[in-house]
Amino acid sequence: MLHSKTFSKKTRGGKVQKLVREVYLRDDIYCGASFCKVCDTSAARFTASASTILVLDTNVVLNQIDLLENPAIEDVVVLSVVLQEVKNKNTAVYNRIRALCSNPARKFFVFSNEFHRDTYVQNMTGESPNDRNDRAIRVATRWYQSHLGDAVKVLLITNDRENKKKATEEGVSAETIESYVKSLGQPALLDLLAQPASEDIIMEEVEDLRPSKRKVVYPEHKPMSEITAGLTSGIYHQGKLRVNRYNPFEAYVGSESIGDEIVVYGRGNMNRAFDGDIVAVEILPQDQWREDESLSIADEDDDNEEVHLVPSSADDAPRTTNSVSGSASDTNPISGRPCGRVIGIIKRNWHSYCGSLEPMPMPAGSGGLVYALFVSKDRRIPKIRIQTRQLENLLDKRIIVAVDSWDRQSRYPSGHYVRSIGEIGDRDTETEVVLIENDIDARPFSAQVLACLPPLPWSVSEQDLVNPIRTDLRHLRVFSVDPPGCKDIDDALHCMMLPNGNFEVGVHIADVTNFVHPGTPLDDEATQRGTSVYLVERRIDMLPKPLTEDICSLRADVERLAFSVIWEMTPEAEIISTRYIKSVIKSCAALSYVEAQARMDDSRLMDPVTKDLRNMNTLAKTMRQRRIERGALTLASAEVKFQIDTETHDPLDIGMYQIREANQMVEEFMLAANVSVAEQILKHFPGCSLLRRHPTPTKDMLEPLLRTAASVGLNLDISSSKALADSLDHAVSDDPYFNKLIRIMATRCMTQAVYFCSGDLSPPEFHHYGLAAPLYTHFTSPIRRYADVIVHRLLAASLEIYKLPTIFRDRPQQTSIADNLNYRHRNAQMASRGSVELHTLIYFRKRPIDTEARIVKIRSNGFIVFVPKYGIEGPVYLTPRGEKGGGEWFVDEQQQKIKKMDGSLSYGILQAVKIHLEVVEPQPNRPKLQLTLL
Amino acid sequence: MVGLSVGEKYFIQGGINQNLRSDGRKRDTYRPIFVETGVIPQANGSARVRIGTTEVIASVKAELGRPSALHPDKGKVAIFVDCSPVAEPTFEGRGGEDLSTELSVALQHCLLGGKSGAGAGIDPSSLVVAEGKVCWDLYIDGLIVSSDGNLLDALGAAIKAALSNTGIPRVHVTAAASGDEQPEVDISDEEFLQFDTSEVPVIVTLTKVGRHYIVDATSEEESQMSSAISFSINRKGHICGLTKRGGSGIDPSVISDMISVAQHISEQLITKLESEISAAEAGEDEL
Amino acid sequence: MEYVSPEGLRLDGRRPMEMRQLRAQIGAVAKADGSAVFEMGNTKVIAAVYGPREVQNRSQQIGDQALVRCEYSMANFSTGDRKRKPKGDRRSTEISLVIRQTMEACILTHLMPRSQIDIYVQVLQADGGTRSACINAATLALADAGIPMHDLVTSCSAGYLNSTPLLDLNYVEDSAGGPDITVGILPKLDKVTLLQMDAKLPVDIFENVMQLAIEGCKAIATYIGEVLLENTKQLEYRKGL
Repeated sequence: MLHSKTFSKKTRGGKVQKLVREVYLRDDIYCGASFCKVCDTSAARFTASASTILVLDTNVVLNQIDLLENPAIEDVVVLSVVLQEVKNKNTAVYNRIRALCSNPARKFFVFSNEFHRDTYVQNMTGESPNDRNDRAIRVATRWYQSHLGDAVKVLLITNDRENKKKATEEGVSAETIESYVKSLGQPALLDLLAQPASEDIIMEEVEDLRPSKRKVVYPEHKPMSEITAGLTSGIYHQGKLRVNRYNPFEAYVGSESIGDEIVVYGRGNMNRAFDGDIVAVEILPQDQWREDESLSIADEDDDNEEVHLVPSSADDAPRTTNSVSGSASDTNPISGRPCGRVIGIIKRNWHSYCGSLEPMPMPAGSGGLVYALFVSKDRRIPKIRIQTRQLENLLDKRIIVAVDSWDRQSRYPSGHYVRSIGEIGDRDTETEVVLIENDIDARPFSAQVLACLPPLPWSVSEQDLVNPIRTDLRHLRVFSVDPPGCKDIDDALHCMMLPNGNFEVGVHIADVTNFVHPGTPLDDEATQRGTSVYLVERRIDMLPKPLTEDICSLRADVERLAFSVIWEMTPEAEIISTRYIKSVIKSCAALSYVEAQARMDDSRLMDPVTKDLRNMNTLAKTMRQRRIERGALTLASAEVKFQIDTETHDPLDIGMYQIREANQMVEEFMLAANVSVAEQILKHFPGCSLLRRHPTPTKDMLEPLLRTAASVGLNLDISSSKALADSLDHAVSDDPYFNKLIRIMATRCMTQAVYFCSGDLSPPEFHHYGLAAPLYTHFTSPIRRYADVIVHRLLAASLEIYKLPTIFRDRPQQTSIADNLNYRHRNAQMASRGSVELHTLIYFRKRPIDTEARIVKIRSNGFIVFVPKYGIEGPVYLTPRGEKGGGEWFVDEQQQKIKKMDGSLSYGILQAVKIHLEVVEPQPNRPKLQLTLL
Repeated sequence: MVGLSVGEKYFIQGGINQNLRSDGRKRDTYRPIFVETGVIPQANGSARVRIGTTEVIASVKAELGRPSALHPDKGKVAIFVDCSPVAEPTFEGRGGEDLSTELSVALQHCLLGGKSGAGAGIDPSSLVVAEGKVCWDLYIDGLIVSSDGNLLDALGAAIKAALSNTGIPRVHVTAAASGDEQPEVDISDEEFLQFDTSEVPVIVTLTKVGRHYIVDATSEEESQMSSAISFSINRKGHICGLTKRGGSGIDPSVISDMISVAQHISEQLITKLESEISAAEAGEDEL
Repeated sequence: MEYVSPEGLRLDGRRPMEMRQLRAQIGAVAKADGSAVFEMGNTKVIAAVYGPREVQNRSQQIGDQALVRCEYSMANFSTGDRKRKPKGDRRSTEISLVIRQTMEACILTHLMPRSQIDIYVQVLQADGGTRSACINAATLALADAGIPMHDLVTSCSAGYLNSTPLLDLNYVEDSAGGPDITVGILPKLDKVTLLQMDAKLPVDIFENVMQLAIEGCKAIATYIGEVLLENTKQLEYRKGL
């Protein structure tokens, strides 16, 4: 082993420090070629017959990662110096290249050139770090060529002109990525190439159909040094730009420095920033602060408000800009919120987007190079211009496109085609789009994951029964109550009258952690997936099917392993004692909610299970009552339920989900079990428990609710959850649906509950607002939620059944797991909503319908209605689109009413209206729902 | 602490009288000098100097700071000396503090010139990055590793060598801030500022033992001294600083004699030292 | 932060089980009875031993064994950011104590009653593992001074980062905040004389990491043995034997 020692020197801003690091140069770093005679080939990657080996420059990895992911690119050397540079510049790309390198199917090999005796390059005086790294890449390429000899051609792929020139001078063969891809003779690959900024001039000419447009569209971004200086001196403000989901011309930058959100109106002020970018913003002079900005960039296509699913929480609701304003006049009243413009982008959040090409005529001589505009499904993303050679194939497809650059002269960013998903409108394609948009991994489980499953058929073994940690509860009358057709049953209940008049109530949860062990590929996969995703017609499992539907599922009449929470309760539902045990159970019935409800309601039935159900229902009602008295909110959401044709998977019927007493009963016991478990784990592991909290909504968040309520003469008390719950209870009118509407509106004002690690927050912050519980966690659905798996492990450790896995000692990692769970959880919900929206559209395609709707918001040219029956929300226009107000209608802001000028007609909030619902296709392949007033 | 018998004392004094010291040197010869630079890579500059069995390490660290209000056009230089108990068990705990302070003050007198910085070996105005706002502060640290007399000369030589080894990153003021704000600075990784150390003086200490004075006294000889004067003299033969230590008085006429002797010796010392330094620098580059 | 790359290399190019480069030199301080410089990578310490000699402070004298004292100090320039370090701060007092106890345990103090042995260690550069380097340097200095010992104590540290046990942490790895175990052993007697850990580790992992540190100590012991042998040969040569 060769030890050599060199020094590098780094300085940090502010305080200048000289840092000295050792570098040990080695001779045991191998080249990765299986045909190499000198090196150890156990870790070799390249194909035995490789004739060309590619060495990538950093710029190629950074810009052309989509191309690199294509299987056509093989036998690639990734140098550690390149990895380091990529990591510093773009973590997302770094993760992708790392994934490529660790994928055994791809021939990507990481060569640690920075620690190799012959390829280490020392900084020369006067050489910039960039030049030094370029030189390191060339040295490594040359080493490869001399190491592997003439049998193989080693090719440096670089788009850096200077580097290529130097390489050629030094006798290293080098090519640009374009010419290399061309040499492969697969024209379709060329579409995957990211457009380098240098070619913008050519693209400009293509765009330049109207001569007037060849000009600078956007102001310049300030240089980084100026931005940093501006940030420290407080002229500029830094924050993440979030574009309004429902109005892409409006964005917000949350700034810590001014403690408020800065509103950015219009593409010009956004100055090429994307949603999620970290930007520097300059506050505009106060006289330019505007309430609403519809000017944006001229003749950009009309901002269509679309029909969509009713949001179920503040997280997916449109942001409230004081909706009614601007009205017919264009006075742009001064607003109280600061407005700003983006002067620089600190960190880009570019990734790839799903969407389709804007319809365009086939240019003559098609098949050649064509520029097309891509419209993302995510409306927050501007159109992206791409170059393609296969326009006719792509026009009716959903495709994925990545962004490459956006210069000042281009109205739209330029990007490149990544891959196509399928035909627009096709249900499978659109479902995949929903999955991709929400970053959901729907791939089948890998062989390594499946290898972790116990062999099938599986049954409770003798060892399980004699295992001292397990209690045999097979004698208990356990049953489950779930939605009809539920296959992944993760909870079951029992209820038994005790001789002393008390009840023993048990909640039995599938013992998933008996099969999913920490550190296994199965566990890693579940950690990543975080949750099962429920779409209308399919389910994407967190765990493989044998586990979810068989081994863990607490089906009727089979013995199953469970983790049980057993209480002794008084008839008044006071918990006297709680036990937590691993058990073996045998469910005697798998009931659906409807069945359970029917049994309870049928007074003739006196069988033991029905009696148990009735007892439990009584207890549950008491518990529920007590919870509500504590201030738990009864929230409502407009959940819809589809009936799906089992053959075609097309929706047959659609309607609101009905909630029965049986649902509430099961829910009540699950809540109680979760609370009990939360207390137990927090007591034993105060620093590393996974809990769930629901933050108290701020007054600002409830503002839209209060405004709506006030306009119908309702006064809500929001001082506490208890007060709000009470005033929601009192919000009644002649309209039977009124109360539910108000509750739905209240729900959508609140944020969602989130998982967190107990060590990261202080106990008062653990509070769950919606449930009015000081502590809460998720324990009851380990088959479909990973959080529950973690909680099961914590609970088992608190009972000293198992040791706590080491991961719980690593706070940062635990926090990142909690963050991932929140992210996955939210995405799963978004995907479900997306799927429902998609099916709603499919459903109404054949069935235009007249129905009743409620007005929820007044607009200058119409209003937004909520259709309770289908759980959707959308605009109804009183005047044709494009004409603002038109003089015929005016908005009464005070009363939240829109009135006809002659006073003959007026519409107000929560008013019921009859509407017509149908699917229209204003553009080919772009169906959408349209609501019109009857 | 050197414990000597009467015979030993007599032997040392007698040797000096006869211009043949106990280790065979003449009164005006130095022990062999050995210089090594760059010994502390984390510092901006460093050197180890060995004179006989006396060994010291000096390091230079540069930090960005603010010039004092009195001298907005000058950087700051500070010298501290530490006595390691490794060198002498009596330095244990706070035992070395008196000596540390004495040496620090003496070095400051000898190397840093007056309060205004005039006459200093390093031009403090070369340390200014932005006048009145940003300057480099140099912290010079000396550490005594092995002590066998003549510490001041060794430290002076080590500091000179460390300074010539010092590279300070070049700094650009990026955005001029208004008013009292500290401006932002950009640090270049590639370029270094080197000091011109030819003006840095060397220190020659003449130790008076009996009627004669000697250079480069060992600790045994120092125990017999009546007084000592340290001259700091630059290449041009100018005296940059002067400290007298020891209790007994010296006849003024002797002092001028000592000065001329010191000037003469300093010439040899500077030549010797600079050749050692350049040899050490060359050796370091080869690594 | 990635401390071990997927290729299995640490930030400085070492593999997890590798130690930094060791260097040692005996006899750096002329006046001391024994002295040594010990380097582990960029960590560099000097140790000097004075004694056995008359007890300086009579009240400390022990009738049947030698008094062992130790002082640890750090040079101002030893760390990346320069600080004036007051002598006798908590950290150095603690390290002094650790070194003293470790060395005292292997010195045959009963052979030198009513005498005193002073061990001084001076850190010239700190880049992680100073504690271990000090002990190793002190061992060499004691051997150089010819002080009778049971065995040559050696010390090495190991940590646990990115779910990997790492031998001999450098400063960057040390400041990652992971667990860090310092072990001192008597290699011939195969006994652990020093064991310190900060942060927490599950027991099974702790055993692995400690075992790794012990392996490191053994490697250092071999090296120290070679250095001493070489030094003795030099002495013989100079004496013309």
